[in-house]
Amino acid sequence: MKAVGARLPRYDGIAHVTGRSTYVDDVRIPGTLWVKALRSPHHNAAITKLDTSPAEAMKGVHAVVTAADVPLLVYGHLSALGIPGDEPLLASGEVRYEGQPIAVVAAESEELAMAAVEAIRIEYEERPALFDIRKAFDPGAPVVHEWGNWYPHFEGEMDRRQIRKGDIEWAFDKADTIVQGVYRPAAIEHVPLETQVCQVVPEADGRLTIYSCTQALYFSLGVVCAHLQLPLNRVKVVGGTVGGGFGGKVDTATETMCALLAQKSGRPVKWRWTREEEFLCSSTRAPWHMEIADAVTKDGWILGRKMLTLHDSGAYARFSPYGLTKHSFHHAGAYTIPNIHFDGYVVFTNRVPTTAMRGFGVTSVSFAVETHLSRIAVELGIDPFELRLKNANRIGDTTPNGVVLTDPSTVPTIQAIADAIGHELTAEYRTTTGDTRSGAFLPEHLVAQLGNPEDH
Amino acid sequence: MPPIDVLTPTSPDEAVAAFGDGTGVVVLGGGTIVVPEMTYGRLKPERVLILGRSGLAGISRSGSTVTIGAATSVADLVGLSAPLGPCAANVADAEIRAQGTVGGNLCAGEGPEAPRGDLQGALLALGATVRSAGAGGISSDPLEDFLPKRRSRLALDVSFEEPAAGAFANLDRPHTHDYTALAVSGARAADGTIRLAATGAGWWGLRLPSAEAKAGDPEAAGHAALADVQLADDALASAWYRGKVLPVLVRRVLVQLKEIA
Amino acid sequence: MNLTVNGVAREVESGPLTPLLFVLRDELELTGAKAGCQQGGCGACTVLVDGEPRRSCLTPLIAVEGAAITTAEGLGTPEDLAPIQQAFTHHYAAQCGFCTSGLMLAAQAYIDHGGIDDRHAIQEALSGHVCRCTGYVKIVDAVAAAARGDEFDLTVTAGSSGMTTGGVR
Repeated sequence: MKAVGARLPRYDGIAHVTGRSTYVDDVRIPGTLWVKALRSPHHNAAITKLDTSPAEAMKGVHAVVTAADVPLLVYGHLSALGIPGDEPLLASGEVRYEGQPIAVVAAESEELAMAAVEAIRIEYEERPALFDIRKAFDPGAPVVHEWGNWYPHFEGEMDRRQIRKGDIEWAFDKADTIVQGVYRPAAIEHVPLETQVCQVVPEADGRLTIYSCTQALYFSLGVVCAHLQLPLNRVKVVGGTVGGGFGGKVDTATETMCALLAQKSGRPVKWRWTREEEFLCSSTRAPWHMEIADAVTKDGWILGRKMLTLHDSGAYARFSPYGLTKHSFHHAGAYTIPNIHFDGYVVFTNRVPTTAMRGFGVTSVSFAVETHLSRIAVELGIDPFELRLKNANRIGDTTPNGVVLTDPSTVPTIQAIADAIGHELTAEYRTTTGDTRSGAFLPEHLVAQLGNPEDH
Repeated sequence: MPPIDVLTPTSPDEAVAAFGDGTGVVVLGGGTIVVPEMTYGRLKPERVLILGRSGLAGISRSGSTVTIGAATSVADLVGLSAPLGPCAANVADAEIRAQGTVGGNLCAGEGPEAPRGDLQGALLALGATVRSAGAGGISSDPLEDFLPKRRSRLALDVSFEEPAAGAFANLDRPHTHDYTALAVSGARAADGTIRLAATGAGWWGLRLPSAEAKAGDPEAAGHAALADVQLADDALASAWYRGKVLPVLVRRVLVQLKEIA
Repeated sequence: MNLTVNGVAREVESGPLTPLLFVLRDELELTGAKAGCQQGGCGACTVLVDGEPRRSCLTPLIAVEGAAITTAEGLGTPEDLAPIQQAFTHHYAAQCGFCTSGLMLAAQAYIDHGGIDDRHAIQEALSGHVCRCTGYVKIVDAVAAAARGDEFDLTVTAGSSGMTTGGVR
């Protein structure tokens, strides 16, 4: 491996420092029309009337696109992973979050496009909205999605990610104490310095060229072609220069609508979101609600973990079932817990649909489980490092989803941290290793979960 | 969009004449507040008065009286003594301070998401007078009388007596461009009178008379200050948080004032 | 209206209240300055006005009539990089690059005004600039290096494009 640790050129380094990197808004195509969107002012409402003709009649307005113009209105971006589609490209008959796009306009200036948006006649009938994922399960809660208030299409039509291992009742019965905690990280907006932006050029032969800030070029190409019902070779996506994404530019949030406007108007179009639009309408990292109850012995063994996760997907599923799945894999952290009862739900609310952000699905659970361990250490009066070293994954330990570990680095990592900050460990914790459990680190209750790494 | 009438006076008299009674005129000092409002389409002025070349910038002293022209940049105040100097240093960042003006900061309207007018509290504590033009001609008003009518006046300059002692304490949010979340300014005049004012505790700067009445007991004054303010939740801080911090800032300012001979 | 941009006298047609950012990007086709927020909150639009860093999204054209504007394109070219550009390249101070233009110009002004290799002072000078990618450490490293007058060997970091690298100016 020659690259790791080596100083290498950034292929875009010189362009960045000379102001020559060409981001999508730096692409200037003559004849470009400017795009603005009509967005829902309501959290949850039926659209009882929609008349775009006043906008279409305005001088300088070249195209207006609504749900009716979309060849395939609903397409599941992760249908290849078994997540069916639920989100219309443009709202059709109803809106489920404030900011949801209903119509897009292409006009000769951004100001004119905005005036056209304001000229569209639309009427709504508001419906009760749901914002708190904890209330989604209440019998009286408004139902905000055709699938119910939580995603029901995991494998086998399960309505949750469920992990069961061992005998949780035994663990809770045997424990000296139960330590509980609730963890609720809030939504986080990615705030890329470059807001969402897209330029589409209709080529003379009917193909489309899309200049996109997507983080996932071929993925977005597939999404556009699916909605437009075009073969993949009819669309070219030019990408790669992204002014920050962090997971927030994987939603293909602008490309398809711009493509439709370019087709309808026969002109190049560009849509650039304002910073306010970015904050109010772009997808965020999801808020989570996690409840952990650990059955622990007074000398710090974690006999069992009961955990409930609610993931706020916002108004549509988008990538949330995938995020929750990743989250579920990590709910024991880097620690060996032989008795497990985990349930995780993807819950719908009337908020902007949530999406990926660095460590999608996993940062939430890492935060929760590590904080919870610290809480246990405080409650038991045990050194937090030693609590972790005791329960740390070792060779031959079995994870909640049945993986026998062959080379976990938990023990040396924790020891290195203690060393780096000058935290003194007692002798047996200083010398324990990640090798197969033995002696003081192999209590009776962990014997049955030992597996042979070579068998897997 | 109809063309905007751009007025570019080159002297204070021309600025006053161009402003007239202020009807339909938007005053642009540095532009840090007005320009983004126009960019976002929230402000669609018919006439814009550019103050930058009208000779209204500069700080002058006459005896113990300090006079600051309305077009003086916030950056130019940074070297002044407390409370105004540190208050100015706490405004946004270096680039915004260099461009924003005292007049613009004083006369800013309520923001859509949080209060504006970072300098108002410091100038209230200094007992500042604002000389302004508008309907009825040129007038000089104590700042607290000017603030309710600031949107219809053209501020020309602000003046105050150099205090015997000054102090400033703020909710410190380093390296942010936000308006002041909460700050308290205090000044002790030559005759020993203490004035206290807060920024971020209402839609514009507010005097804290209940705290002033207890200035001899900083702890008590801190709690008394809560009676003088209208705390609200906004983009910068919650009312609850401001309610916890305000007494602390008042106490700190009074303690600082005591320590200055 | 007349102004000088990167040393070249220009006559522009944009209206007097047009923010300088749009005059540069749209009329003069200098797209180095970026529109990150258009409200003065991020620093991606910063350019030098008579050597002083200013938010071009907040500056109406009429306020810079007759002034000398410097953008990232005017600091130096790939064939002849300014020391600050070399420093940013050498220290990997740019990731997505969107904040880079504004930051380099603010850093250039800091150094031109006698700014030294003092991390706190550098952070104060650059405090109006947001970067979501780097965590700022390498940016401060780069500015500190340029303030010190470090010389940079860019044979590795300047890329394999065959361009002659700047070396020391």
